[in-house]
Amino acid sequence: MLKIIIPTVMLIPLTWLSKSNMLWINSTMYSLMISMTCLPLMNQFCDNSLNLSMLFFSDSLSTPLLMLTTWLLPLMIIASQHHMAKEPPTRKKLYITMMILLQIFLIMTFSATELIMFYILFEATLVPTLIMITRWGGQTERLNAGIYFLFYTLAGSLPLLVALIYTQTTLGSLNLLLAQYWIDSSTHIWGNSLLWLAYMMAFMVKMPLYGLHLWLPKAHVEAPIAGSMVLAAILLKLGGYGMLRITMMLSPTINFMAYPFMMLSLWGMVMTSSICLRQTDLKSLIAYSSVSHMALVIMAILIQSPWSFMGATALMIAHGLTSSLLFCLANSNYERTHSRTMILARGLQMILPLMAAWWLLASLTNLALPPSINLIGELFVTVSMFSWSNFSIILLGINIIITALYTLYMLIMTQRGKYTYHIHNIKPSFTRENTLMSLHLVPLLLLMISPKIILGTTY
Amino acid sequence: MNPLTLSLVLTTMISGTLIVMTSSHWFMIWVGFEMNMLAIIPLLTKEHNPRSTEAATKYFLTQATASMLLMMAAITNLLYTGHWSIMKLINPTASIMMTMALTMKLGLSPFHFWVPEVTQGIPLMSGLILLTWQKLAPLSVLYMIMPLINMNILLIMSLMSIAIGGWGGLNQTQLRKIMAYSSIAHMGWMLAVLAYNPTMTLLNLYLYIPMTITTFMLLMINSTTTTTSLSHTYNKLPLITTLILITMLSLGGLPPLTGFLPKWAIIQEMTKNSSIIMPTLMALLALLNLYFYTRITYTTSLTMFPTANNMKIKWQFKNSKQTMSLPLMITISTLTLPLAPMMMILD
Repeated sequence: MLKIIIPTVMLIPLTWLSKSNMLWINSTMYSLMISMTCLPLMNQFCDNSLNLSMLFFSDSLSTPLLMLTTWLLPLMIIASQHHMAKEPPTRKKLYITMMILLQIFLIMTFSATELIMFYILFEATLVPTLIMITRWGGQTERLNAGIYFLFYTLAGSLPLLVALIYTQTTLGSLNLLLAQYWIDSSTHIWGNSLLWLAYMMAFMVKMPLYGLHLWLPKAHVEAPIAGSMVLAAILLKLGGYGMLRITMMLSPTINFMAYPFMMLSLWGMVMTSSICLRQTDLKSLIAYSSVSHMALVIMAILIQSPWSFMGATALMIAHGLTSSLLFCLANSNYERTHSRTMILARGLQMILPLMAAWWLLASLTNLALPPSINLIGELFVTVSMFSWSNFSIILLGINIIITALYTLYMLIMTQRGKYTYHIHNIKPSFTRENTLMSLHLVPLLLLMISPKIILGTTY
Repeated sequence: MNPLTLSLVLTTMISGTLIVMTSSHWFMIWVGFEMNMLAIIPLLTKEHNPRSTEAATKYFLTQATASMLLMMAAITNLLYTGHWSIMKLINPTASIMMTMALTMKLGLSPFHFWVPEVTQGIPLMSGLILLTWQKLAPLSVLYMIMPLINMNILLIMSLMSIAIGGWGGLNQTQLRKIMAYSSIAHMGWMLAVLAYNPTMTLLNLYLYIPMTITTFMLLMINSTTTTTSLSHTYNKLPLITTLILITMLSLGGLPPLTGFLPKWAIIQEMTKNSSIIMPTLMALLALLNLYFYTRITYTTSLTMFPTANNMKIKWQFKNSKQTMSLPLMITISTLTLPLAPMMMILD
């Protein structure tokens, strides 16, 4: 693992010592090379994980997420070039340093063996993200957004710390490699329910669960593009990853605890999708669609069946790439019109046809068109939810329809129709932007060929 | 201040604390406390204005009361056990009175009312000494009498301190008052674990002191005492804004900075001793502290507050403030979390 972490740490001196005209090129290229270093980890055993050291390991659940993290850093750097162009070099370097710092923490989080190390790094990812949102966001609402983000996550995760330490004192060790061998035979006392709650609330807030999702639209909308990308693509998946790891550890007999969260997720999924239909703000629409997709992941993890775990993992990876792609597309609009209002930039297909192709592909993957990996995720989740409870298919079906509705609404609103009269003097698409979109889409489309690498541990 | 006077005062103050820390006779501990208190009064009134006098008077009155309570407790102990040794404070009345006296000296709730007002009225350097050095003596006595303290009182006082330190600081913009409430909250954390594992109290103290020294030194470089004037730092010394950011987040106990380590260690010790609700409550109340630290970072580092200056940066003069070993302090107070396994061997 050090062969990934040390180069990432050395990206920071690279940033600070680069000449100003080589800054973006250097950081992008070397971070792309580091993401190539991550690829050999895909060579997983089918019945065990790659136990690399005492501190780090990678199994078929953490490897796709690691790949996503390292793939995303060059994309974030590419996406930030335009809005950082006018800043002094020190601030550009600070921004890139924040992104790299976040990357380091994320790599270590996804490959941690010891749960307390996972916790510390989980919390540590908050600091660079907070700095990115608050310092480089666009509007005054970003201050409030940063506070909501920080405090929602911290209030959820402090009980997690206590629960982890309690488990360490009672069970002796919090090493994840050992966790798969525990048989927890705890009785149905209410203390165990509280323990389950303490474990889960941190990840529920992070995912986010429907009732606790207020921080997400704020944070996603107010963040700069790199912040939005990393929030949507990776930080939400931290919650999912944590939940997937912890449910292997927690008692399977505490299934009744899952019902309130299942209800919230089922209802919230439909609610947030419906809100997307009435959004005027493009980034807010994508943020709420993230909540909706993550509600599916929460439900899948709570049912704890092999198919649902596969669906959850696939959905996390697919949603990460798709959501990040949508945010990049929305940002390309924002950089031209300096407004997030959807109707201000209509009929773009006439003016930027290649970008319209990316919009089309992004929308098609967002609405889970076969055979994309989004479909695999959603399908597996739907099928396992149906087997858990036949009636859930009603709400899931409604959600799929509404997802299609708002995605097509977004597509048609921004691309089709007559263009607005004030739009004809926007700059044409940069090669950089086309590169960015295609770098998002290529993994998404290529994974269609062999989705088994993103199907996680229960494949 | 005249260097001779300053050296005399400082020597007396330091030797007072040392007498407290090294005595085993209650009378000598009282003597040490009195020396310490009397010697710091000139430091508090370095500036000759009525506010300093008020602060010094409040400090004197509370500390004198606390010392007298301490004497009363020692004499009660003498009455019931017949000796002055500090190791055997067996009588419950004496033990409770002693705890009250020492927590009054520390500024714990419900005896915390003097801390914000005294810290506000004195110059920054004196405030630094007040909030760091003056905590050493009472905490060392508490450490020594630790087995005999009534646990209920200790836990209630520490929980109340964390709550009051959190909620009290929310409405403040004066930085010295914010640091005072921060001190109240941190003292609460320190005392909470005293009954379970006093080594963690010391760990918290050893990390709290560098963090507070760093904060005060950063404030002294700017000579600011209000949030508004601190928000002009980006115009004067932009690097300091980054340092204020990480120091404040470290004080708030945010991983991966050092400030997380005492909280983690304390929660671990309390959970090991099957006390689970208390550390959860303490951790959640510590979020209040984090809020006002984050607010300071918002005004200072993360936004550019409006200033009266039209230039991008003001003239940078050579630093004339005493900032002894600021880089070392910053490193200790923000970057030593990876050394956590080493500190756990203090167990």
